[in-house]
Amino acid sequence: MLSRRHALAAFTAVALTVGSLPISLPAAAETLTKASLRLKWLPQAQFAGFYVALAKGYYKAEGIDLAINPGGPNLLTENLVATGADTFGLSGGTDSVFAARDKGLPVVCIGVSHQITPFIFVTRKDGPVKTLQDFKGKTVTTWFTGANHVLNGMLAKEGIKADELKIQPQQVSVTPFIDGNVDVITATYYNEYYTIQSRMPKDSLKTFVAEDYGITFPRDTLIVAEATAKEKPDLVKAFLRASLKGWKEAFADPKGAVDAVMAVAPTLDRPQQEFMLTEVKRLMTAGKAAQNGLFWIDPDAIKTAHDFFLKYGVISKSLDLAVAYDASFIESVPVAERRP
Amino acid sequence: MSGSPLASSPLVVQRGILGAVILVVCWEGLARGLHLPSYVLPAVSEILAGVWSKRALLGEAAGYTVLEALVGYGLGCLIGIGLAVAITMLPPLRAVILPAATAINSVPVVAYSPLILLWFGIGVASKMVMVAMAVSFTVFLSTLAGLDRVDRRAIDLMRSFGAGRLNILWRLRLPTALPLLLAGMRVSTVRSVIVAIITEMLGAYGGLGWVIYQAVLQIDFVQVWSAIFVASAASLSFFGLIGFLERKILFWT
Amino acid sequence: MSIGSTASLVEEKAAADLRPTGLPGWLRKALRLLLGLTATALIWEAAVLLFGIRPAYLPRLSTILMAIAATPGAYFNGFLRTSAETLIGFLTGSAFGLLTGIAFFRVRALREMIFPIFVVSQTIPVIAFGALVVLWFGNTLLAKAVIAFYLTFFPVTVNTLLGLETVDPKQVALMRSFGASNGQLMLRLQLPTALPQIFVALRLASSLSLVGAIVGEWFGDTTGLGVLLLQAMFTENVVAIWGALLAAALLGTGFYAVVATAERRLVFWSAEQ
Repeated sequence: MLSRRHALAAFTAVALTVGSLPISLPAAAETLTKASLRLKWLPQAQFAGFYVALAKGYYKAEGIDLAINPGGPNLLTENLVATGADTFGLSGGTDSVFAARDKGLPVVCIGVSHQITPFIFVTRKDGPVKTLQDFKGKTVTTWFTGANHVLNGMLAKEGIKADELKIQPQQVSVTPFIDGNVDVITATYYNEYYTIQSRMPKDSLKTFVAEDYGITFPRDTLIVAEATAKEKPDLVKAFLRASLKGWKEAFADPKGAVDAVMAVAPTLDRPQQEFMLTEVKRLMTAGKAAQNGLFWIDPDAIKTAHDFFLKYGVISKSLDLAVAYDASFIESVPVAERRP
Repeated sequence: MSGSPLASSPLVVQRGILGAVILVVCWEGLARGLHLPSYVLPAVSEILAGVWSKRALLGEAAGYTVLEALVGYGLGCLIGIGLAVAITMLPPLRAVILPAATAINSVPVVAYSPLILLWFGIGVASKMVMVAMAVSFTVFLSTLAGLDRVDRRAIDLMRSFGAGRLNILWRLRLPTALPLLLAGMRVSTVRSVIVAIITEMLGAYGGLGWVIYQAVLQIDFVQVWSAIFVASAASLSFFGLIGFLERKILFWT
Repeated sequence: MSIGSTASLVEEKAAADLRPTGLPGWLRKALRLLLGLTATALIWEAAVLLFGIRPAYLPRLSTILMAIAATPGAYFNGFLRTSAETLIGFLTGSAFGLLTGIAFFRVRALREMIFPIFVVSQTIPVIAFGALVVLWFGNTLLAKAVIAFYLTFFPVTVNTLLGLETVDPKQVALMRSFGASNGQLMLRLQLPTALPQIFVALRLASSLSLVGAIVGEWFGDTTGLGVLLLQAMFTENVVAIWGALLAAALLGTGFYAVVATAERRLVFWSAEQ
C-alpha cells in the first residue's frame, strides 16, 4: 500500500520528468477561420472551381473553413454579403454591384469571373427576326436580374426603345420558344443555349451577341463586405488564392470538376454540366484574362458599364469605382498563379 | 382561424387597437432608434409612405393576385363541395376518393408548385390551379364532415314521406352541413391568397409575389414590406367578406 | 370533427374486440396499407403505359424509383434534414402555441390585445419573409425552423384556447372547493379537457411545419427535400420532381401518423378519466 508521501513523491517525480522533456506537441489544431461563399444560383458547373477547391481542401490549406451556400430565386447575393450572413459572394455582375452600391449596400467587388457577356439572344434563323431592328413588335423574353440591361443596351445602340417590343419575364422552361410562342429568347452560353440546341438543331438558330454591338457586360462578380475587406485582407487574399487553384484544377481536369459538382447536386444532367464547364472556361479566360489571369478586373470595361448604367438610369448617381472595385487583392496573387 | 369570434364590445375593440398601437410604436422605435438599415427592418412610417407612393403598382399587383386567389378559390370550393356530395350520393366512391385525396394531400401543396409551373406555365392559370388544389381539400373535408353529421333518423323520416335522394340532399343534408362547410370556406380564404403569392414568387408575369421577388432583387426592402402589408390587407378583407357572407347565410337558415 | 373521431374510435375498438381473433389488429392494418400501396403502384404503372402519358407530365413509377435509387444519398440526407427542420419547428411552434393559449385563457386583457396581432400575422405570406429570414438568421437550420415555427404556432394557440374554454365551470368550482391551486387546476382538469382540441391543431401543425421547412429550403439551402424540388424544377427534371414529391409525401404521412398515434394514446387516456 503506497503511503501518501510515497505517492506524492512519485507523482512529483513524474511531473518534473515530463515537464522537462522537450515535448513537441502537435501544433494546437490550427483554428480555421469560418467563412461562407454565397453563389448566385443553384449548384452547377458554372461554379465548379469553388467546389473543386473545397473538395480538394485548398481552402482548408489556406486556413479557411468554407461553406458554400447556393443561391436561388428570391436571393440576392449582395444583400446577404452586406448583412454579414455570408462572407463572400459570387453575385450577378457589374450591374448588380453598381445597383447595390447605389442603394448604399457596403459591398466591394474583388474579382470578375466572366470577362465577356454570357448572355445571347436566340431566335429562329427562318423566323421574322433577321436584324436587331426586327425585334420591334416581337415577343422577347428576358430575365430581369441583369440580362435585361444587356437587351436594353443593345436596343439603345440601335436607337430602339424598350416599349417598341413586347418584353416579358422569361420562364424556367425554354418550351415557349421551341413551340414558337416566343420570338426571341434570352440564353446563357453555358446553360439555356445547350437546352435549346438539344431540341432544335444549331443551324436553325440565329444569335445576337452584345459584343457585336460594342457592349460588354462582365458578370459573375466576387464580392465581400467593406468591413471584411478592411479588417481581414489576409482572409480575402487566402480565399482568392484557394479559389484560383480550384479553378485551374477544374480546367485541367474537367471530369473531376463535374464530379465535384454532381456530388453536391446529384440530379443534374451530366452532359449538360460538361458543356457548361467548357463554355464557362471560355468566358472566364476571354479578353484580358488570358494575359492577366482569372478574375481580372478590367478598369475600362467597368468604366464603360458604369457610364452606360448612369446614362440609362440604372444607377441614380455616379459611383466611386476605386472604392467599388478593389483589384488590390487579386493583384496580390502572383500572375503565374492567376493565369489559366 | 378563430372559431369563436371575439365579442366586439367596446372594451375588447379598444384593447385590440391598443395592442396594435403598441406593436407599431415598438416597431417604429426599434427601426428608427437603432438606425436599422432598411434591409433589416424599415420603419412603419416608411413602409406606409411606400404603399401610398407606389399605390398604382401595388394596386395592379394586388388585382392580379386577388384574381388568381378568387378564381382558384371558387374552383376549389366547387371541386371540394362537388366531391363531398358525390361521395354522399354514391357511397362506394368513398373508398376510392378519400384515400386518393389524402394521398395527394400528404404532400404539402406548395411542393407541387414546381410541377404545376412546368405544366401550366407562369401565367395566371398555374396560380389558379395551385389555389384550387389548396382550397379544395380543406373544403372537401369540411363539407364531408358536415354531410356525415346528418341524423339517420331524419333521413329515414324524409324517405318515409317519399322524398327522393336529390330532395333529401337539397333540403336536409346540405343545410345541415352548411355550418361546417362555411367554416371550411372561411379558413381557406387566407390560404388562397398566400398560396397565390408563393407560386408567383417562383415565376409570374405580375402580382404581389412577383412584386416582392422584384423588390428583393432591386434591394428595395421598403417595397417588399409594402407588398407584404397590401397582401395582408387583401387576405383580411377576403376573410372578412366570407365571414360576413357566412353570417348572412347562416342567419337565413 | 374531434368528437366524431373519438366516437368512431370507440366504436372501432368495440368492433375490434368483437372480431374473431385472427391476426393482431396492427398487423391487419399494416397488411391493408401494403395492399393499398401495391395496388396504387400497379395502377400508376399501368395507367402511364396504357394511356401513353408523356413523361413530362407523369413518369412511370418505376422510372422515378430508379432515379431515386441512382442517387440515394441526396434523397436520404434531404429527408433527414427536412425532418429535423420540421420537427424543431413543430416542437417549438406547438410549445409556444400551447403557452400563449394558456396565457390568453388566463389573462383576458392579453388575449384582447395580442390575439388580433396573431391573426394578422398569419395573413402575412411568410414566404415573403423567407428572403428576410435568411438575411437575419443566415443559412442555418435555425432559419428554416423559424419559418416552420411561424406557420405552426397559430393553430395551436387557437385550439388550446378553444379547448380550455370547453371546461365545465362546475368541475372548476368543485376542484376549487377542494383547495386546488391554479396550477393544479390547469394540469389536472383544464389541459386534459382541452387535449382533444389541442390535438386537432397538432395534426394540422404537423403538415404546416413541413410546409415551412420545405419553403424555407428554397432560400439557398444545400440539403433537403425542398432543395431537391427547386433544383429539379430549374433543370426541368420532372422525374426528379416526382422523386422529391414522393419523399415529401412519405415524410408528411409519417409525421402525421406519429402525431395521430400519440393522440390515440393520450386522448384515450383522458377519455377514460
